[in-house]
Amino acid sequence: MDASDGLSRLEYHVLLAMAEGPRYGYAIREAVEVESGGALVPRAGTLYRVIARMITAGLVVEARAPSDAEPHPGRPRRYYALSADGRTLLAEEARRMIDAGALARRRLGEA
Amino acid sequence: MFVLLRWLVLMLPRGFRGEFGDEILEEVREECRRAEGRGRFAVLRVQWASVVDLAWCAATERWSPSWSDDMSRSSGGGEGMMEWMRDLRLAGRTLRSSPGFAATVIVTLALAIGVNAAIFTVADEVLVDPLRVPDADRLVHLGSSAPGSDLPEEFNSAGEFYVEYSKLDDLFESVATYNWFTATFRTQDRTERVPMSSPSVSLFETLGVEAALGRLPTLEDEGTTAVLSHQAFVDWFGADESVIGRSYQMMGQSRVVVGVMAPGFSFPRDDIVVWAPGEEITAERVRPGRFGLNLAARLRPDVPIEALAPRLNAVARRIPEQYGVSGGYASMLTDQFRAVVRPLADEVFGSVTGPLRILMAAVAIVLLIACANVTNLFLVRAERRRLDYAIRSAIGAGRAALARAQFAEVVLAAVVAGVLAVGIAGTALPALVSMAPAGLPGLAEAKIGLGTVTFTFVLTLVVAALCGAGPTVRTASVQARNAGLAARGGARSTHWGRNGLVVVQTAMAVVLLVGSGLLMRSFQQLRAVDPGYDVEDVFTFQIAVEDEPGMEDGPDFARFHLDFMDRLRALPGVETVGIVENVPLNEGVRSMRFAPADMVDEDAGTQLGQTFAAGDYFEAMGIEVLRGRVFAETDHLENPGYALLSERAAELLFPGQDPIGQRFRWVNEDRVETVVGVVEDVRQSSFREEAEPLVYLPMVGQTPDAWALSSPAYVVKSERARDLAPEIRALAREVAPSAPMYRTFTMEGLAGDSMVALSFALLVIGVASTLALVLGTVGLYGVLSYVVAERAGEIGVRMALGAEAARVRRMVVGRGLRVVVLGVVIGAVAAASASRALGSLLYGVDAIDTPTFLGVITVLLLVGALASYLPARRASSIDPVQTLRAG
Repeated sequence: MDASDGLSRLEYHVLLAMAEGPRYGYAIREAVEVESGGALVPRAGTLYRVIARMITAGLVVEARAPSDAEPHPGRPRRYYALSADGRTLLAEEARRMIDAGALARRRLGEA
Repeated sequence: MFVLLRWLVLMLPRGFRGEFGDEILEEVREECRRAEGRGRFAVLRVQWASVVDLAWCAATERWSPSWSDDMSRSSGGGEGMMEWMRDLRLAGRTLRSSPGFAATVIVTLALAIGVNAAIFTVADEVLVDPLRVPDADRLVHLGSSAPGSDLPEEFNSAGEFYVEYSKLDDLFESVATYNWFTATFRTQDRTERVPMSSPSVSLFETLGVEAALGRLPTLEDEGTTAVLSHQAFVDWFGADESVIGRSYQMMGQSRVVVGVMAPGFSFPRDDIVVWAPGEEITAERVRPGRFGLNLAARLRPDVPIEALAPRLNAVARRIPEQYGVSGGYASMLTDQFRAVVRPLADEVFGSVTGPLRILMAAVAIVLLIACANVTNLFLVRAERRRLDYAIRSAIGAGRAALARAQFAEVVLAAVVAGVLAVGIAGTALPALVSMAPAGLPGLAEAKIGLGTVTFTFVLTLVVAALCGAGPTVRTASVQARNAGLAARGGARSTHWGRNGLVVVQTAMAVVLLVGSGLLMRSFQQLRAVDPGYDVEDVFTFQIAVEDEPGMEDGPDFARFHLDFMDRLRALPGVETVGIVENVPLNEGVRSMRFAPADMVDEDAGTQLGQTFAAGDYFEAMGIEVLRGRVFAETDHLENPGYALLSERAAELLFPGQDPIGQRFRWVNEDRVETVVGVVEDVRQSSFREEAEPLVYLPMVGQTPDAWALSSPAYVVKSERARDLAPEIRALAREVAPSAPMYRTFTMEGLAGDSMVALSFALLVIGVASTLALVLGTVGLYGVLSYVVAERAGEIGVRMALGAEAARVRRMVVGRGLRVVVLGVVIGAVAAASASRALGSLLYGVDAIDTPTFLGVITVLLLVGALASYLPARRASSIDPVQTLRAG
């Protein structure tokens, strides 16, 4: 994946989920579901394929658990966070969407 | 289930699995934990969705890897795909080298998947959303019952209920009446009898539909407007939009077409041509107690369906006071009335969707049996090839590689089977559609499309996962043991696994066989029913003359039909001709309350069906005249107040008396009839329903205007019943050029149609249970053959020590039967509860029918004994010397 490729909807929401700080798998999933208005409900395999792709592309890095993380029984959770590139790409993508949205509004005459 | 998930994770490419495998499992676990609060079903859904998702990821991650790091780069990326291709090629070679095995596996799976795909294609069109309107789950049917009264077990509703239910704003968004009937629809160049509906204006709002063109009828139209179905808009008017605003004759009235509905919308049947709402029912216009109205309502979003009945019952109890009714009707409302509420889709389509669900379950069971069989075959094979695996693992093949090789074989077989299955479904579908009961919404649209292919693909993946899990895990565990030593001792656990599969197969076969046995008995019983009339060599049709010029009153109408009967009698090959208002098996009859003339109490009397008959109706249909006489021609023209009774009606009105010459009256009407004859009872609506007590009247009907609303059916007895239609049509054109002839059937055809739901179910379950029996037998045979082969050494020793051949045979057969008996017992218990689901399809036979159960159990035990006997004979012919030498 190249930063110029543009992001799929799921990729965008996964990055967005990490924008507030490091998140672990299930928390990302939940955030994606809520923030996409229930349109995206990634199952485990699909979600981790996206995360893997982002890590390979250098957009996401594995992060230390935040200090206020709730303790988890069993094996410790793995947290993922945005890299500097990831943050830039997400911001670019958001900008692009805002522009595209504004254009659509003008065309549709909604002022 | 987690075994399956864990195993799917094992199928992910190594690098990806190492990095994320545990994470993925942990996440699924977490999701399941959270789903637990929503019940078992929610957990199951999460698990299955995860299985499908992981199977998909395991495949796509190889084709298009998302993960690459230094460690896995060598086996990831293009190479991962290469590895897969290598596995598949190897699998292809292995399968080709044992064509018998490969063919058995592939044909088994292809048949099972194909049958499922075909049924799915039908069900997808029909079941998912039979009503085809928004938020159909909030639509309910509002009916009535009055346990303890002489009214039918369940009946529809009446105008006063519509008015009062409509006031319940906190429960309903909207309440509507609906109906359908056939009536004449006349344009400049075409006149036909077509299915129409005259609902309340609120029907469209209740269903949540809009007009696609123009507008919907409104209350202000006061019953002067109509909307066309899209189909009619195209067929009748060539999709010419100028039809909107024009007036046409329908139901004998002129109506302005104001709109056209969207394509695909039709209610309450799939062939309604026009909806023409009548005058709105209001409290002022209602005549209380006239049941016969179908009510549908849209619930407010948060109202549970259970909350309705008590509120509706309370409404009924207030009706006597509000509408000033008294006597029997009032006490029925206050004491006996119970509202009936059920989803509208069940009410309208329940009789067809119910059986379809059962069929889906039946073919799903076949698929499970097939999977169990294939798993068994692969397990046996994996055992045989243990040495092969041991060698490969010794020269460095990893656990995952071995497992993958095994899995590749299953996947390859399943994929080939899946492709064949689409073909099988394509072949089976037209046959299935042609045999399916009429009236299934959307059935005509059922065809093999993307939906079927996708379903088959997913099913193939699931099948591969189900069939592959056991053998693959087994293969992967080979490495853990010393192959040479494990060859004998470690086999116990797999025996149990395989025996377990045979038990499950047998149990499922019992369930299906009992189902088909019960349906077969019902079919026989129905065939043996005497409906009171003959169905051979009778042709029936209707002709709509009420709008013809010169039709002014009842006698005109009767004269036309008497004359037309004479013309029909003159046709070559016609034996007798008669007329009936409602021909059995095609139409029900109205029911009214009648009482002996000397019984003056207003609430007295009995509910009886009412129809009219003329000409040689009884003779043509072979209905016996038991006492007295039938109507003379003059009876139809003058209407002297004569009536015929069916045997049951005579018993109900005049118990223990000679009914001839007795007089009875219409309750609440100013009319008295004299009985002139008694005829045999007939089963009116279907062979399933007991004969209804019937009153036959002369053709002109009970009121001066009744003739105009009636649509009599002719019955023509002739050996040429099948070929008469064109001649009669020509004859009709001579006397009434614009009168449409419609509802042309042979009684044999109607009788066949009335059995079609049962025949269809019988056919599908019959095929399913035959497959189940064959597959189950093959499975048992396979397992026992393997056991015998494996224990050849032991058997050889026994025989060398002097065991008789017969004893060895008994031992092997006994071992097989133990497994079968366990399966049969479990199956019989399961069948006892599953057969209740057949409910409405059964006739004259209990869901727990002892002969059927015993028959099925006997068949399975015999088949089990046979399947065990063949390997047993092989065992007893083992040459001790040879096996001992080999051991």
